[in-house]
Amino acid sequence: MLQFIQFAITRAFMALVTLLLVSLIVFSLMEMVPGTCAERYLAFKNTQGQQITIDDIEAEKVRLGLDKPFLQRWTGWVGRVFFKGEFGDSCILRLNINQLLGDKFLISLGICLTSLVLAYLIAIPVGIISSASKSKWLNGSLRFVSYFGLAMPNFLLALMIMLFSTVYFGETLTGLFSKEYRDAEWSVARVLDFLSHAWLPIFILGWSATAFALQTVRALMLDESGKLYVTAAKARGLSGGKLLWRYPARHALGPIVNSLGFDLNRVFNELPIVATILTLTEAGSLLLESLARSNDQQLAGAIIFLLTASIVALNFVTDIALAVIDPRVRRSVMGQG
Amino acid sequence: MPDANQQPLISVENLSIQFRTSEGLVTAVDNVSFDIQAGEVLGLVGESGSGKSVTAKALMLLNAENAVYGEHSRITVNTGADTIDVLSLQRPQDRMQIRGGLISMIFQEPMASFAPAMSVGSQMVEQLLLHTTMTKAEAREHSIDMLNRVGISDASKRFKQYAFEFSGGMRQRAMIAMALSTKPRLLIADEPTTALDVTIQAHVIDLMLDLVEEFKMGILFITHDLGVIAQTADRVAVMYLGNLLETGPVRPVIRTPSHPYTRGLLNALPRLDDLDAPLTPIPGDIPSPLERPGGCVFHTRCSQAIAGQCNSVAPAVVEVQPDHRVACVLRDPAGGRV
Repeated sequence: MLQFIQFAITRAFMALVTLLLVSLIVFSLMEMVPGTCAERYLAFKNTQGQQITIDDIEAEKVRLGLDKPFLQRWTGWVGRVFFKGEFGDSCILRLNINQLLGDKFLISLGICLTSLVLAYLIAIPVGIISSASKSKWLNGSLRFVSYFGLAMPNFLLALMIMLFSTVYFGETLTGLFSKEYRDAEWSVARVLDFLSHAWLPIFILGWSATAFALQTVRALMLDESGKLYVTAAKARGLSGGKLLWRYPARHALGPIVNSLGFDLNRVFNELPIVATILTLTEAGSLLLESLARSNDQQLAGAIIFLLTASIVALNFVTDIALAVIDPRVRRSVMGQG
Repeated sequence: MPDANQQPLISVENLSIQFRTSEGLVTAVDNVSFDIQAGEVLGLVGESGSGKSVTAKALMLLNAENAVYGEHSRITVNTGADTIDVLSLQRPQDRMQIRGGLISMIFQEPMASFAPAMSVGSQMVEQLLLHTTMTKAEAREHSIDMLNRVGISDASKRFKQYAFEFSGGMRQRAMIAMALSTKPRLLIADEPTTALDVTIQAHVIDLMLDLVEEFKMGILFITHDLGVIAQTADRVAVMYLGNLLETGPVRPVIRTPSHPYTRGLLNALPRLDDLDAPLTPIPGDIPSPLERPGGCVFHTRCSQAIAGQCNSVAPAVVEVQPDHRVACVLRDPAGGRV
C-alpha cells in the first residue's frame, strides 16, 4: 500500500512536470503571435478612433511588464497560474480572465466528461457482448450504427436536431440556460434548468464518442479473444459468460481505460463547433472567438492551458486505474512481493 | 507398459477435418485413426502444418467455429464406466467434462497460456471448482499441493503470483500442475518443451512422465522432434499434410522406418556421433493445404515416388510388423508397379 501511495505521488509529480512543460509551450506560443498585448490593445483602440503614439505603446508595455525578459514573464505567469489560479487580464477585453471564464470552463469540461462517460458506459458492455455474439443481425446493425456515428459530422447532427425541434415543437433548443437563469446565482432550479438544456450537447458529443469507443472496444475484444490464454481457459472447461467476462473482457479493460485520455481530447476538439451551432456561450466557443476574431492570446492561452491540464489530470487518473487493473503494471511499480 | 487387451482410453476413427474458408473447404486432417491406451505415451510427429495440433484440438473440440468434421469421423473416450462420443457433444455443460475433466492440454507457450491479469492460483482453483466437488479452501490446498509436486518451491507464495513472475520452466511446470490437478485420463501435450531451454526440457519431460505413470493416464505427445519422441513415447504416429503415414511401437519405427518420409525425418536429425556427416533435409517444402497433392500426399517430395502410381492412387495401409503400419505403396505386396 505504501508503495502504491509512493507510485501515486510520483505520478502526480510527473503530471506536474508535464504541466510545467505545457505551460512553457503555451506561453511561448502566446509570445509567438505577432504583436504584443500592448500593441494589439492600442491598435484595437486605434480602430475605435483614438490617436496612438509610439510613446503610448511603450508606456503600455512597461505597464504590462512586457519589457522584462521572457523567463521572468513566464515564471510570473506560471507562478500566478499554479499558486493563485490567476490567468491575469485578457488582452483586448481588459477583463480578468478568471471572471470572463467564470463557470464556463467547468461547464464545458462537465459536458465533455459526461458524454465521454456515457459513451463508455454504453460502448463497453455492448462492445463486449457483440464481440462474443454470433448474431449477424446484431453485429451488422451495430457496425452500421457505429459507422453512421463516425461518418456523420456532429454539426450536421446538431443542425438536424435543431431543425426538427423547431419545425415540430417550435423550440429552438439552443443555449445552456433559460433567459431567467442565465446570469442568476447557482441554485437547484438553475441546475435543473441547465440539465434540461445540457442533454442536447451531451447527446450530440456522446453520439460520435460512443461510435468511436464501440469500435475501440470491439477491436480490443477481438484481439484478446484470439489469444492463447482464452483457448487454454476453454480447454480447462470454461465457457459462456464466465469465460467471456473473466478472460477476454477482463484483459481488454486495461487498453480501454488507456484510450480514455485520448478520447477526452477528441471530444473537446468537437465541442467548439457544436457549441457554436447550439449557441452555447461556454469555453469552447470562447476559445474559437478569442483565437479567430480578436487575437486575444492571453485568453486563448488560458483556455488551452486549462484544456491540457484536464487531459493531463485524466491521464493521471487512468495511470492509477491501470495500476489497479493490471497486475503487471502494479508489480512493476510496487516491486516484488 | 500398457495392457494390449484393455479397451483403449481414447479411440480416434477416420477423423477428417476441413475448414470452411473464403477459398472453399480446406482439408487439415484426412482419415486419421489411432488409439491411446491408459498409461501409454503416443508421440505424434510431423512438420508444422501437418495437422498435429488440429487433430489434438479435435479431441477437446477446441478447433475454430469453421471446422467441419467428417461424416464417418468418431472420437470415443472410455471412462471405464461408459464411453463418450466426443464429436456429438453439443451443449457447453456436456463439453465441459472432456475439457479439463477427462482430458487436459498443455500448450507450447506457457507464458501465453496463462491469463496475464489473473494469478496462477486463481486459474487453478477455478478449474477445480468447475470439475470437482471441492470447496474453495480445498481447491486452494490441492492447487498448492500440486505446485509442490511439480517441484515449485515456496508453492503457497507462488500460488498468489502471476505467470509473468515465473521463469519459463517454472511456468510450464505450473501448467502441468494445473493440467493434472483434475486427474484427467488423457494429457495432450502440444510441443510442451519447444519454447524451453534444452536443459529444462529434460526436467519437464521427466516430470510429465513420472506424474502420468503415477496417475495412470495416457499422453498424446505432439512434437516435431523425433529425438524427444525416441526417449519419451511408447508408440509413434508420423503425420504429413493431414495423413498418418506410419504408426507403430517407437523402437521398430525408429530402427526400421518403413515410410520414406519417416526415413527422411530421421536422416534430417543432426548426429552427435559423426560431426562430419552432412545434414540431409527432406527436399522441397510441405505443400499448401490448398493444393493437396493427389494420390500419396508425400509423392511431391519423395525420392522413391513411382510415376503414374504414387501421384494417382492413395496408398493402402499395410501392417509390416505386428502393430507397425505404414501407408506406402512400396511396402504394399499388392501394390508396386502397375
